[in-house]
Amino acid sequence: MSAALRITGLSAGYSGFRILDGLDLDLAAGRITAIVGSNGAGKSTLLRSLAGLLPRGGQAMVDGRVLPPGSATAAVRAGLILVAEGRHLFPRMTVLENLQLGGWLLARPERAARLERALALFPRLGERRNQLAGSMSGGEQQMVALARALVGRPRLLMLDEPSLGLAPRLVDEVMTLVRRIRDEDVTVLLVEQNVAKALAIADDALVLERGRLVASGPAAELLRSSLVRAAYLGGRR
Amino acid sequence: MRLWIELVVSGLITGGIYALVAMGLNLQYGLMRILNVSHGEFLMLGAYLTYWAYLVMHLSPFVFLPPLLVGLFVVGLVVHRLCFRRLAETTPEVEAFEARSLLVGFGLMFVVQNVALLVWGADLRGYQYLAGTVSIAGVGFTANRLVAFAAALVLGLGLIAVLRATLLGRAVRAMMQSPTGALLVGIDVRRLHPAVFGVGLALAGAAGALLSMVFEISPSMGEPYTVTALIVIALGGFGSVTGSLLGGLLLGVVEAIGMHLTSPSLKMVLSYGVFMLVLITRPNGLFVR
Repeated sequence: MSAALRITGLSAGYSGFRILDGLDLDLAAGRITAIVGSNGAGKSTLLRSLAGLLPRGGQAMVDGRVLPPGSATAAVRAGLILVAEGRHLFPRMTVLENLQLGGWLLARPERAARLERALALFPRLGERRNQLAGSMSGGEQQMVALARALVGRPRLLMLDEPSLGLAPRLVDEVMTLVRRIRDEDVTVLLVEQNVAKALAIADDALVLERGRLVASGPAAELLRSSLVRAAYLGGRR
Repeated sequence: MRLWIELVVSGLITGGIYALVAMGLNLQYGLMRILNVSHGEFLMLGAYLTYWAYLVMHLSPFVFLPPLLVGLFVVGLVVHRLCFRRLAETTPEVEAFEARSLLVGFGLMFVVQNVALLVWGADLRGYQYLAGTVSIAGVGFTANRLVAFAAALVLGLGLIAVLRATLLGRAVRAMMQSPTGALLVGIDVRRLHPAVFGVGLALAGAAGALLSMVFEISPSMGEPYTVTALIVIALGGFGSVTGSLLGGLLLGVVEAIGMHLTSPSLKMVLSYGVFMLVLITRPNGLFVR
């Protein structure tokens, strides 16, 4: 199995406070990997530093190529696209304009083709392509964020709390979409507060505690493990 | 009726210039939170360079306008590189950056003003261009005022068209609406910020070129336009370029009618009155939903 992402000695944090320190990680291509961990474990810090939103130390390689640190443009160009917590859509632009900007770094024909493909995956957005993104419901905005990321030709799609603030029915819908995105040959790195849901759709899982990797393996195995059940699913060790 | 037509058209002509200055400043503030109080000085620079090109090279202001736009765009890149880029890198907090950019702006204002004083002196200067009269609905207007208004409108609408209809323009709007979202789609803000700052200065320079056709110019002419631009931005909404165009035209008309009904010496009182009224009743601007 080839590694879509290889991280060596990664360190990152906020305002001089180091949250991740010397993290090593290999991520398998074409699979969904869930990251599990308590608040402050460094899950979002990992995603944000890989996406170039935070400065980082250490090395990250995407499909064998070194990713320069601290450059969001370089990350997107390498196919590392983050759907961040809070979605960060362009609220006074239409759905279509948001999606077009998802393909900012692509040539016009490829952008148009990927936009049509994303709309085929999210038919509801096609019906609302001229609606302002800021006027949509939380679930619809999450779909716009996912579709916008897909237009950008991701090799590794990083999802930070995609179900946050959504009704349970919409959470299931989003999780189904994440699987369909994986089936489009996109590697997915998923950080999700709903651990049971995340592990149910993930192929692999990692457990982070205080910035360190404490367990990893197939998601189904970790779902059964006493460590995960006790710490994140309310069960007993 | 003729009087009202004259007042409204005069107001729109002045308002067109206000709009152009405010659109440039709003781009800079809306995108980068640079409170560039030296904006009017670049209007003054545009006015003097146009005057100089007309006097020395006998170039019509409209022939000189494209090189002037390019020149001030480049000046904008340099000013951004020298003054604001490092400031942005060392001041991540928005409020602190706004305050520091304001201080840098004051410094720039004095530098540019004094350079102009050294080069051109403190005397009022001017030239005659399209000074004939044109009649609209029986009311006479000097041709240069009408042409200046038309040019301001073309530039303003052109900018709005670029921002709305091109992917580059949408990227600029995206950076204004969600800086993090812009980073997430790969927009290179380190490249676009200086370019947009340059566009802002180019618009100020264009406004100065148009003003030089109509009024006499002096090294201190820029300051009142900076203040007016801030009032227009409050009217139209921070970050809304279309709002600046409409706000500029509206302020021009309000000033023209207000001065007629009261006194020309109360011009600034009228402007500040509108400014305070809008800030109290519609703090997000008249045209922001």
